[in-house]
Amino acid sequence: MRYAEWCIAAPSLEADIAAAAMGLDDIGHSRVLYGSLKELGAPDGATDQSGYANVAYLDRSWTDWSEFVAANAVLDSGFSLMIEALANGNVEVLRSRLKKMLQEERYHAMHGRSWMREAKADDAVAHAWRECLEWFGPENGDVDQLQREGKLAQGVLELRRLLEERIGGHAPDGGIDWSTWDPVRRRTAPGGIDKETLDMMQGLAEKRYMPTSG
Amino acid sequence: MAYSRVHASVREYDVFARKARVEPLRQVGSVVAPDDDLAMAYARATYDEERWVEMMIVPRDAVIRLWGPGESES
Repeated sequence: MRYAEWCIAAPSLEADIAAAAMGLDDIGHSRVLYGSLKELGAPDGATDQSGYANVAYLDRSWTDWSEFVAANAVLDSGFSLMIEALANGNVEVLRSRLKKMLQEERYHAMHGRSWMREAKADDAVAHAWRECLEWFGPENGDVDQLQREGKLAQGVLELRRLLEERIGGHAPDGGIDWSTWDPVRRRTAPGGIDKETLDMMQGLAEKRYMPTSG
Repeated sequence: MAYSRVHASVREYDVFARKARVEPLRQVGSVVAPDDDLAMAYARATYDEERWVEMMIVPRDAVIRLWGPGESES
């Protein structure tokens, strides 16, 4: 959704098109993931802001292109690493379904990394990076447990190291206060997605424009 | 450069693709980008409407032209 908001606002026409295409890719990825979760017996998705397990970076619309670039370079890379760890784990439904997603995400990361070299996005990158580490979770937490069970190919330390490798740099200074970390939503910040975006995601915004049946 | 709209320095790349192995590659368009990474991302985003079995990009300045339309071969 946040990518789609930039499909007429990016610095060039090519970047507009890429934003739209990446937004569409990610909607497709959500469908695959929700389908897989359902098959694995996960309960239905969230209905309100506090139920969505999105990184806080996506709570509000980005107001500067550097925020898009940081999400693209850092969050997409972190997401790809986790998907890769799942695709190489021992859960068959994920092993078979996530490969195409990784191929598409490769282009997202290339787009993000190249723009990172162009745009001055240091602050946004540090912000996104911290939230990505929160999303990976603490050491010896659920991710490491899943890795021990073979469901994930990598644990937290390895994911952090690979993220540095992919982005080409070091994680920002300053530790994460895990005492405020929500293990379900995988973030420390309270709050959630803005109401307008939530309405769009749940189809409520579209319903307003539907003809009334008589 | 002619296309330096956003980036300080850019290259033009031609995009080639084909739908089946038996078909020859054909030029489907072009992109302008500051580096190969972004050119690949742009090519894939812009020309992904077909089910290509192969896609590649070539920096236009790497192409050596022997002659063009209206020019003599020798």
